Amino acid sequence: MKASIRKKAILLIIATFITLIFLAPNLWMLFGSFKSQNAMFALPPVWIPDFSYIKNFTIMLSESYTYLLNSIIVTICSTIVSLFFSLPTAFGLTFFKFKGRFFLADWILSTRMLPPVAAAVPLFILFKYLNLLDSLFALVIVYTAFNIPFAVWVSASFFKKIPYDLIEASRIEGASWFHIFLKIAIPLSKGGIATVAIFVFIFSWNELLIALFFTVSESRTFPIFISAQVSQAQIIWGNVAAATVIQSIPPILLTIFLQKNIVSGLTLGAVKN
Amino acid sequence: MQSEKIQKILFILPTCLFLLVISIFPFLYSVYLSLFQAKLTKMHKKFFIGWENYQVLLFEDDTFPTAIKNTFMIAFSSITIEIILGFIMAKIFFEIRHIKFSNALRTVTIMPIMLTPLCVGLVFLYILNPTLGIFSYILDTVFGIEPFAYLGEPIPAKISIIVINSWQWTPFMMILLLAGLMTVPNEQYEAAKIDGANWFHVMTKIEIPSILSFVLLGVVLRLIECIRLFDIIYITTKGGPGIATEVMAFFTYRTEFRSFQIGTGSASAVIILIISLIVTTIAVTLLRRVERNEGLN
Repeated sequence: MKASIRKKAILLIIATFITLIFLAPNLWMLFGSFKSQNAMFALPPVWIPDFSYIKNFTIMLSESYTYLLNSIIVTICSTIVSLFFSLPTAFGLTFFKFKGRFFLADWILSTRMLPPVAAAVPLFILFKYLNLLDSLFALVIVYTAFNIPFAVWVSASFFKKIPYDLIEASRIEGASWFHIFLKIAIPLSKGGIATVAIFVFIFSWNELLIALFFTVSESRTFPIFISAQVSQAQIIWGNVAAATVIQSIPPILLTIFLQKNIVSGLTLGAVKN
Repeated sequence: MQSEKIQKILFILPTCLFLLVISIFPFLYSVYLSLFQAKLTKMHKKFFIGWENYQVLLFEDDTFPTAIKNTFMIAFSSITIEIILGFIMAKIFFEIRHIKFSNALRTVTIMPIMLTPLCVGLVFLYILNPTLGIFSYILDTVFGIEPFAYLGEPIPAKISIIVINSWQWTPFMMILLLAGLMTVPNEQYEAAKIDGANWFHVMTKIEIPSILSFVLLGVVLRLIECIRLFDIIYITTKGGPGIATEVMAFFTYRTEFRSFQIGTGSASAVIILIISLIVTTIAVTLLRRVERNEGLN
């Protein structure tokens, strides 16, 4: 018994070290965001910064709030629109017994795995033709398209947990599919839908490539703003650090909420809890 | 019955149409464009040249073949590292899963997965600053190694990209394999204990066979991500020095959007597409099989 306790204690210490490996780089950036340009690259390093030094953040936010707002709008809209399209489809693929539904589900899934870079130029031409380049609307549409397959598959994996008898019983009572979808399926899968929403939110929030292609000035998202800071001849690292911290806040907070369902989401519903 | 059918169609059709227009059409249009010589800035002046873009890309210039090689080298190295380290970490966290504190540690450990790849790149760009970065400082004071431009020399740049990539994704492999280890029935461990099996036997005879499908799933999903590796390259090395860290997605971006050669760019996009389709077919088959068996449980 004693040996096993000692073994666990040693393993816990090792686990703490492992955690540090994945925490320390981010922490160093976080500390950097509270330093002046000189302190950021001082030798020997300034280990603990003065946390009351928030100039980097105030400069950053005053310069970039429009881009931050763009990011927030695009992310929230594409999350809502993705769910609006995906949830009914996931419901249909789970409960309608029609021929070809497996093929359809596979087809939807496969669009998720195709590289976005291969779609960028044709979409660029399409939106240019529609005069929608450099608009938040275009970004919302494209992010939604790239997120739908994921959302369909993961939501379907949650809908499958609903007992089929329950659906059957409502059918016999004469409830319409819309009724069953809104009054039974959605309320019973609230947790799952929240998981899907969080993932889609983070995917859209993190997106860089499509935004690089599509946004010129007005609709630039926050990641584009950050990357522009780095392509300047003189990188102002304090600002970059502050921007990185701001950009990282939503993913970090949301990961805490995901906890239990994170494996399920990352494997497109293949691994259940 | 008629309204029943309409209802069902309303549930499914909008999504399919949406995907056809925004997802399938662009990929097909890429194939079409790849047969033309065209500039993004002068779209009306494109002319048909057939396979020439592919000819140039694959056989007449070294850059794209190098990009393919680099992509797979980075994918192979990162995924190998992720599996090995991920398994070790999963084992450790599995052993201490009943201790409450380990949950907090695990949550912190998996955070890199969800971080914006751009930010991950920036964090390492800051750390790896050749003269004044913290990495140089530690290397110099602890090991007495002279700092150099880690992202500016071909081999170190490649290694750095692999390290950054694995740093972000090893936690994914860890939680996946941890979920796998959870599925090993307790009786098997006890039976092994009674038979006096050592840890090596437990690992090779019980654990590895039962998590193999999890590993496979992880490899396929990661391969899909590695093929589209872009953000980290874009922010750290931009494919350099020279073409040492050039990868397929970045090459395509550069050709299409820096040189505006959308004919050549589309050809490289189509090649990425074909490679992805092969991996995707494997992935979809695998996920479908897992799904029919009611999930990996």
